[in-house]
Amino acid sequence: MLSLLLLIIVISACEKDDFCLKNPVTPSLVIDFYDDTNRETLKNVKELYVWAEGKTDSIYINQTLNSITIPLNSLATETVYNFSKENVVNQFTISYTTEEEYVSRSCGYRVNFNEVTFLSNNTWIISFTPETLTTIENKTEAHVQIFH
Amino acid sequence: MYKYFISFLLFFVFVDGFSQDKKNKVKETEKDTIVYKSAYGFRLGMDISKPIKAMFDGSYSGFEIVGDYRVNKRFFIAAEVGYEENTTKEDYTNSTVKGSYARIGFNFNAYENWLDMNNEIIAGYRYGFSLFDQTLNSYTPNVNSLYFPANTITVPQTATSLNAHWSEFVFGLKVETLNNLFVSFSVSYKILMSVKDPKNFKTLYAPGFNRIFESNTGFGFNYTLTYLIPFVNK
Repeated sequence: MLSLLLLIIVISACEKDDFCLKNPVTPSLVIDFYDDTNRETLKNVKELYVWAEGKTDSIYINQTLNSITIPLNSLATETVYNFSKENVVNQFTISYTTEEEYVSRSCGYRVNFNEVTFLSNNTWIISFTPETLTTIENKTEAHVQIFH
Repeated sequence: MYKYFISFLLFFVFVDGFSQDKKNKVKETEKDTIVYKSAYGFRLGMDISKPIKAMFDGSYSGFEIVGDYRVNKRFFIAAEVGYEENTTKEDYTNSTVKGSYARIGFNFNAYENWLDMNNEIIAGYRYGFSLFDQTLNSYTPNVNSLYFPANTITVPQTATSLNAHWSEFVFGLKVETLNNLFVSFSVSYKILMSVKDPKNFKTLYAPGFNRIFESNTGFGFNYTLTYLIPFVNK
């Protein structure tokens, strides 16, 4: 009887006991905005709106920032973003290949973005660096520097 | 889950106390010459916890046959063979493992039986191995983004002929309830020695080992009914 009780306790104890502590596991793209004349200094973008082409909701709405973190579309090989500064829209295109990589039981699969190339139609953006990346690492430092 | 195991360990706490110690002059009595013989033989049965677990848990099915052979007063050679099928549902993956396993080792009986009693407090060791297939039924890439959500991929991917080898330490109790019929409850702590993982995935559960924790350890319990086929009394 005692054993049966224990059996029921052990069976009912099979509940989830771990959560993904490494989130976010899929990297986002980090962009820093620099001053074009003084290329070592960060420069805020005023009245910044950021949204992806074809989306109606924006990630950043009317903000003044010198760094943004934007997700990439894992279902496509290209994500087109619109960066609007003081009502001037600059299109910024990120092209890549995707690869799924298993992380762990609780975190599942992450998506790696490889062979990354950047393209800008340079309205208010003067230049950016680098133009290609082998992979987007999961980090908080900028992947791309934009000069304006 | 761990807290239940810790609570369970309370069952193994013994308190030893005595209050009086009076020396009595006992008359020397004649030494008892009656020797109680106990049966030696082959014990065979099954783990009834697995069909019970299958009744409660729809994502599990399994059975296990257990047997042991008494070598001397204290030692038993013990083995278990079984088959299990288990579906593991995680936040981002859903996978099913099916396969068979065997465990072989020995049990040491730490219990000093009175008279003709035939009970055991078991401490044992097993080497275990299993052969199994694992199917990744579905998964959702963890993109952690509501702006660009990921699709759930429901194309099953099966990895065949996976295997696992492990060591396990067994602690338990065995009681003779009816003549030659034994009921046993035991828990085990398992340490994985090697496991073959599927490509770009992981073996999350191994038959006979149960859930593989991050530290490559596992827990198990058995509730068995066995019948002794006595060969000889000594």
